[in-house]
Amino acid sequence: MADKKKKTKRLIENEEDEEAGVTNPSMDEEAEAAQHQSGGESSVEQVDETHEAESLIKDLKTKHLSKQKELSKVKSPKEDLAKELRTIKQQSRDKVDETIRQEEAELSATEDGTVPMPTEEEELGESQPTDSIVTFAETTTELETEEAVVKKLKRKKEKVEEEEVLPLKDEDEETTKKEEAPPPPETVPPPQEEPPKPPPQEDVKTPRGLKASMKARLRKAKEEAAAEAEQEQKEEEKKERQLKRDKDKKKTRFDQPEVDEAELEEKTRAFKSRLKKKQPLEEKFRMELKSKGVFMPTAEEAFDFFTHDFEPEPEEPKPEVEEKEEEEKEEEEEKKEGEEEEGEEGEGEEDKKKKKEKEEDEVPLMEDVDEEGYGFYAVRKAEYDDTPETAKKEAEKLYYPSVTSVNAEEKAKILHDKQPRFLEDEGFYVGTRPKISGWNVNKMENRLIKELHREKWFGEDGRMIVLPNPLRPTPSRPPIPEEQEPGLEVQYRKAIMHEFDSRYIDGSLDNAGYYQLDVDINSLSFSHHHLFSREHVLATRLSQLYEEYMDRQKKNMAEYLSEKLKALKLSAVHLKDHMAAKKSEHNYADRSNFQKRLQDYKDEIRRARALRDKEEKTDRLLLKAIIKTWKDIKQQREKQKFINTPLKLQVITEETNKEFDLTQWKLEIEDELEEMEEEATEIYNRKKTEYEEALKKHAEQVKAKEDARVRIHKRSRKQSTKGSRASLGSKASKHSAENEPNPEEEAKDQEILNEPEIEIPDKPEEFNKEQARKDIIAKAKEIRRRPGEPKLYPEVTSTQPITEASKCPRGEQQRRNDVSKCEMFLKVLFNNKEVSRTSSKPLTQEFKLNFGQIFSLKIVQWPESITYQVYETSGFGGEIICEINSSIPDSSVTSQSVQLENLDFSSDHRVNHGHEGVGSGVPFSFGAKNEGTETLYTTGELRCSVAWAINDQGELLVPPSTQEQGNMFYAMRKMDPVTAIGAAGVVDIQKLAKWFEDSRLDPNDPANADLVYMLKSKGGESALLGPKEFFRLEQLQEEFNFCDDEAIDENKRFRLIYLRDSEVTEFKNYKMIPLLDRDIPRDTFAEYEKKKREEEKYKEEKDIESHRAAVSKFMQRVREQVIRRFRLLAHQRRLEDVINEEAVPNIALLGTSVLKLTERRRPLRVERKERKKVVPQTIDNVKILININRAVYVPRRVAASRGGAMTAREPDKAVKNIVGETQVQPFIEVMFQDVFLHTEVGDGPNPSYNEELEMPFKAPNEDYTPGNLQTVTDNIYLNLFDQVLIDIQEDDRQRGTTVHQRIEKKWLGGLTIPFSTVYFNGKIDGTFKLNKPPVLLGYTQGPDEEEGTSLRSNEENTYLSVFMTIEPPLQPPEPMRERFATTEDEKLLQYADNWEKTLNAKFSDREYKTTVIDVNGKTVFVTRYFKALEPPPDIFGSSDTEVKKMEVVARYVSMIPSVSDSVVFPGLCDIWSTCDQFLQMMAGDEEEHAVLLANYFLYMKKITWLIIGKGIPEGPTAYVMTEQENDYWIWNAGTGEHFSYRDSYCPLQSISCLINAENIWANVQQYEKPAQMNFDLSQGASWRSFFTRSFPNTGIASYQPERLYYKPTNKNAVLDLQEKIETLLKNKIMEWRSRLITRWNRHCTQIMRKLLPVLEENLGHSPGEQHLAELESTFSAYKVSGFPINMPYNEINPIVDAVFSTRVHAHDTSDVEFALAVYIHPYPNDVLSVWVYVASLIRSR
Amino acid sequence: MAEVHIVGQIVGASGFPDHSLFCKWGINTGGAWKALAGLREGQTQVDTPQQHDAAYWAHPIDIHYATKGLQGWPKIHFQVWHQDSFGRNELYGYGFCHVPTTPGMHEIECPTWRPSGSFKEQVSQYFLGGGPQLKNPDLIYSGADRYRLHTIAMGSVHVRLGVILRNFDKYGIEC
Repeated sequence: MADKKKKTKRLIENEEDEEAGVTNPSMDEEAEAAQHQSGGESSVEQVDETHEAESLIKDLKTKHLSKQKELSKVKSPKEDLAKELRTIKQQSRDKVDETIRQEEAELSATEDGTVPMPTEEEELGESQPTDSIVTFAETTTELETEEAVVKKLKRKKEKVEEEEVLPLKDEDEETTKKEEAPPPPETVPPPQEEPPKPPPQEDVKTPRGLKASMKARLRKAKEEAAAEAEQEQKEEEKKERQLKRDKDKKKTRFDQPEVDEAELEEKTRAFKSRLKKKQPLEEKFRMELKSKGVFMPTAEEAFDFFTHDFEPEPEEPKPEVEEKEEEEKEEEEEKKEGEEEEGEEGEGEEDKKKKKEKEEDEVPLMEDVDEEGYGFYAVRKAEYDDTPETAKKEAEKLYYPSVTSVNAEEKAKILHDKQPRFLEDEGFYVGTRPKISGWNVNKMENRLIKELHREKWFGEDGRMIVLPNPLRPTPSRPPIPEEQEPGLEVQYRKAIMHEFDSRYIDGSLDNAGYYQLDVDINSLSFSHHHLFSREHVLATRLSQLYEEYMDRQKKNMAEYLSEKLKALKLSAVHLKDHMAAKKSEHNYADRSNFQKRLQDYKDEIRRARALRDKEEKTDRLLLKAIIKTWKDIKQQREKQKFINTPLKLQVITEETNKEFDLTQWKLEIEDELEEMEEEATEIYNRKKTEYEEALKKHAEQVKAKEDARVRIHKRSRKQSTKGSRASLGSKASKHSAENEPNPEEEAKDQEILNEPEIEIPDKPEEFNKEQARKDIIAKAKEIRRRPGEPKLYPEVTSTQPITEASKCPRGEQQRRNDVSKCEMFLKVLFNNKEVSRTSSKPLTQEFKLNFGQIFSLKIVQWPESITYQVYETSGFGGEIICEINSSIPDSSVTSQSVQLENLDFSSDHRVNHGHEGVGSGVPFSFGAKNEGTETLYTTGELRCSVAWAINDQGELLVPPSTQEQGNMFYAMRKMDPVTAIGAAGVVDIQKLAKWFEDSRLDPNDPANADLVYMLKSKGGESALLGPKEFFRLEQLQEEFNFCDDEAIDENKRFRLIYLRDSEVTEFKNYKMIPLLDRDIPRDTFAEYEKKKREEEKYKEEKDIESHRAAVSKFMQRVREQVIRRFRLLAHQRRLEDVINEEAVPNIALLGTSVLKLTERRRPLRVERKERKKVVPQTIDNVKILININRAVYVPRRVAASRGGAMTAREPDKAVKNIVGETQVQPFIEVMFQDVFLHTEVGDGPNPSYNEELEMPFKAPNEDYTPGNLQTVTDNIYLNLFDQVLIDIQEDDRQRGTTVHQRIEKKWLGGLTIPFSTVYFNGKIDGTFKLNKPPVLLGYTQGPDEEEGTSLRSNEENTYLSVFMTIEPPLQPPEPMRERFATTEDEKLLQYADNWEKTLNAKFSDREYKTTVIDVNGKTVFVTRYFKALEPPPDIFGSSDTEVKKMEVVARYVSMIPSVSDSVVFPGLCDIWSTCDQFLQMMAGDEEEHAVLLANYFLYMKKITWLIIGKGIPEGPTAYVMTEQENDYWIWNAGTGEHFSYRDSYCPLQSISCLINAENIWANVQQYEKPAQMNFDLSQGASWRSFFTRSFPNTGIASYQPERLYYKPTNKNAVLDLQEKIETLLKNKIMEWRSRLITRWNRHCTQIMRKLLPVLEENLGHSPGEQHLAELESTFSAYKVSGFPINMPYNEINPIVDAVFSTRVHAHDTSDVEFALAVYIHPYPNDVLSVWVYVASLIRSR
Repeated sequence: MAEVHIVGQIVGASGFPDHSLFCKWGINTGGAWKALAGLREGQTQVDTPQQHDAAYWAHPIDIHYATKGLQGWPKIHFQVWHQDSFGRNELYGYGFCHVPTTPGMHEIECPTWRPSGSFKEQVSQYFLGGGPQLKNPDLIYSGADRYRLHTIAMGSVHVRLGVILRNFDKYGIEC
């Protein structure tokens, strides 16, 4: 039976498919329900029945199996038949099941009368009866024979078969079809309602049973009820179906099974709910059940119900109970049945479902009709082929334990026939058993009983041993924490635009953290407003005064001071007493100590009195002023006849006791008097002694003078007598000779007489007591309340009623009108952008506005400024009254801690009113009586605050504090955590701990207790104070290493690669690195390491060299700093750096080029073509092309024939040159990078060469990138030599046949052009002045006398015309275009930008400088560099004239070595250092020199400008211009020379702009050569000034230091250096001519030594003739060629180079002598002027 | 002491929803490695292809490593970013791949993924752009458990790398 039941279940599952979980129990229930129907049967029968049923089941099973076999046989040939059979089988099985269930139900029902059953009587009532009837039939038949039953069943089956042949065919399909397209509700009754139909057939057949009549009655009643419900259901069903049909139509057939299931479920659910609603009977039951503590059964609960139901113990044979139950059943039969039926709610549904299938059998035609459209999908059938097969197989293999409860016998067996024992009844706690459905328990028990050791599964009570219920009554789920692992955190970021702007706090607009500033604008009050009436003015004044008064009152300084005075007096008196009393006891020291203290007291008293008097005076004046103002107000009110302000002054008078006052008064005066007297006496005494002393001295002096005079007189008398008595004889004369006045004595006397007379000081006046008293009284009267005068306490209240507007005169009415019309609002500007504004508030008659608004500004940019703008509106539009700047709050200022502050503001707007309003900025008077007028400007106070906001979590919304780095406290905070705690309260604990550790503070020291405590509390001792703990990040790393770190670090190859990659200068350009370590030369790193070492060590030596070294180190440091700062900027590439985009030619250009095509060819007209710049990578073989045109004014030889030295001084002696005889044979030699090239030898003083020299150029490391090229420091030396041929023919006889000459080169002058100049400028073209030694022995200059032309100034100099360029042209370095950080005003910079731009548009080749970059890499406005600075005071020496002084200064500046910025700061732009930095570094280029010189000139009160322009040979440069009378002098600060602006040989070629501290003037003239220019700066047409009237200079503070400090130069060190250089040079010369003997002429050296200081004194100009004569006379026997060289001292090497380049040493004979003298002139601050005089002397023959 | 020289290029990316992409890349190694020369990280240009099937960057990679061990073999990690029509950048994918350990040229396709946010984030991402990003980008190449991370597969980055090894045989490593 059980098998069968299972099978049916399976089938149902197959048919309905997915019902599985849900259907199974309900299927069971269904059977149960059937059984319940028969619950009413006698219990006596039950046992038997069950037994029978049991056996029946077995029989049936076997029979069924056999039958199945038969059927299967039949089925196999014919599918259709099999189908039919199956369905029949199924039906029969159903029937069998029902019977079984019935029995079971009977059992359970009999045992448990109170089984709570779900409702749903009605349909069940309907459906069940049919079943029950069947079952009754069966049960009865059971009693007869099994055979009969089987037969009957068979019969039934057959019958059904017959009946349902047609419909069965497509049973399954139809069920599904029906779901899909359900038949019209009228024709097809809903499945639930079908059951009634088939049963009747059976009903008729088997109307047997014991209680049939009862049942029938019941059934009838139920049927009636059901019919009603049915009807309703039908209707509802209909609707639902309709809906579903619509839905289902969309689905394909293949989805059907699912659809069906879903639908069924839905239906059942819907139906259930409907039923619930509908049935009152059910309701009733439910109520009943509820009262019994049973819940209302919904579908779920119904399901639960079965799991609840495990109590009944069906096996227990308890006849009494059963009987009882029987009785109860009898009584409550109806109800119970209802109950039971109800309990099968779910079951009922299942039932219905099953019945639905049945129903299909009955209404197939309808279906078919409906389904016709779909009906031909016969394929389906195949799918169900195997069902019986599987069923069979399952039956073979699977074991289904019965759901019926284990029969009592079995149980008893388990219990060994013992009575079951109930622990619970015995009072033990057994816990609640888990709720398991009875069926499941039964199943389990049935299964376990078949186990081997079945006893152990059952407890003493005969039930399964069950653990207490572990389930919770309510379903719950443990919360799953949603926290994310820290490493896996994901953050939602918005799509962002990157902004590379340092103004943004987080680098971009959207990427930001949240930073918020809270701006609180509280109120605005005016202390003056243009709508004030006169009364208002006074009232404000009064209230201000009163406020002050109150303030003072509060402090009460006068009171405090007089108290202090009292106390002091008291202690002084006390001290005095003490001293007097214990005079004897004290020793001297004590006494003096006391004396001192007393004196201190006295001083203190005096001071306190003075202070008190002052305070009192102020108080009194204030009081007076208040009263006076009040009077004025009253007057005003009277005059104007209305009242405008509510102010009212009340003076409370306090009567005083005159007597008391008087005594006090007197006492006070006496006191003071006494004090004064004391003091006066003291002073008097002191003065008196002084006076007396002076008097005494005076007397003595007078006496001495008298004596002296007498003595002199005597002497003179003696003289005269002696003279007269001369003739009287030798004796007398001898005597007189004895008396001969000693000249010393006489001088002494004279001195005495000459002594200034000691002044007799005025006799000190004695203290005039009366006068003093008078004074004191007068003072007291002025400042103090007079005795008897009442004390006055003013009190200002606002109680005065204001006159109504209607009663006021017209003017006032107008004013009030205006006031009420006037509205104010504030704008809040953040970084000069309006971010919010307050609402507009009307101005009150008190001129106060209350805003009370807080603006929260979320900021993304660094805060630079917060500004409020006060606007006033009357009617339309607003007028800005003023701007108020607020400070950016410190990061510690939060919106919680901030205090409102008052910001004063004032406006200079001028407003005039026609009415009573006094206006603003307009003078007004208070009327005829008040004297004078007043002018008041609108002023007021804004109460506001700015603070950083705090968010909900209490976090401060302050950006990270990089902004504070400028703050001086920043460093402090970093260093000293304690300060840091105090300062902001925010500390970096880690840092603190680190500091704590570093500073090795004793943690046990009580002084550090706070710190230790703080550190402990934060991270625990172990965390911060304990030793650090390490953990290994990469385990087993060590074990698997090939080698250790050193191997890699030491590896030369790796090192080389690494250094090359990190662009270390030495290795930057290493092209190839050998593959093998051994191929790398050992000394590769020698230089680098040496440099490294040098950087580290610091030499502490005392000589000048070391100072220079220190300076150069300093420079190195600065350079590194600057480079580091710039590096990032330099590496930031811009679009232009990456993309070379050719500019699109504009239309105009296109037009002209098209026109050009049509132009006639002009082959002779050569046009210049721009040379293409080459890319550095492709360059090799770079040359410098030097085109030497010509030289002019070359010095001429003084004819050698004369023998001896010739000088320019004696031109008259020179033999006139005959044509053909060479005056001079000059040629130019170019030296660069140790390569010499020279031109052909020219002829005469104005040779023309027109020669192009190609000088090879080799960049260091073969790197031709701009970055490298600009560090090239090599110079191009152009030297002018005279080639002298000296005949050295020894033998005159050979003269005809042999030429034996020696060529000598005599240096005539030189020119040094740094390579960088050529490189930066691309080319150099022009006529240059050669640097010529001031003394050139043997040569003369100037015009030939023959020509007779007058000597022109410029003919003193030699000039050289040169053109120089680099071939191929190298890429010049790009200037830094980045904008640098700056502290300048944004507006100024913008204006400067514009200014430059507009000017550059017009004059593209002129350089206009407004901003420069300082050493810190910041943009600085250029005028900041100008400031009068004092030159070193001791350089002027003997120079007296102004011009001379200027020259000295210029020389001083020129002696500071000049180094190009590009060398100092390679790769960077032009950097301007300030004068102190310049002097410190002792190096700078033209700008620094020029600025320093200009500043010196400014100090000398000269009108000075800095010229930015182009010069020769420097290119863009800076000169200084001063205004001399009628002339402008242009100073070359690098050389110290000056030129008149008219001088056409002035090296300055063009002027772009002039700068001084006040302004910048741009040259907008057509010409830029100084000589052609107009220097009237006021002419707008010629000069465009930067600051104009529209953009005035608001006073830009200078960037220069307050003053310069010069340290004196160590003279000894200088001498040492001088020595050193001289020796070095001598050695060098000997080295250079190592083949020959070098003799030194010491005599000549001596003379030169004498000469050099003179030259220095002359500032490098040629010395006077006297010196030259001296020199010449000395060397008359020699042919001397030599010259002094002067240069600033920087290093020794350049000096050696310079000497070398003059080629003095190049005399290839041994009979030459040399002279060398070195002189160093020390200027302050280690500025040294080095003179080297070299000469070669050849003895004349 | 062995050396690894990686020479190659980030060719491009394909399979992304949109191909206006750029890529940030970096090479990560263990502690035993020392970069001798070359850039270890960088960013490509934004490629806005006309044909929207792939973005090409052809971004060169040239790094020279010296190593004293095999551990921490270099990995290249990528962050593919998308630049939308407003010029805004949003993350499109993370990915990483190991540098091949055999010498020679290698074509590598590195798949990428991006974190998927909550529903709300997805909605706002759909309409507003942006998207969830790793707070800790080390996760791209670190071996931490990521099972809690929900990701969405994105396109892949194509890399062509030439690997030159040196001296590994000295230490008994055959390549």
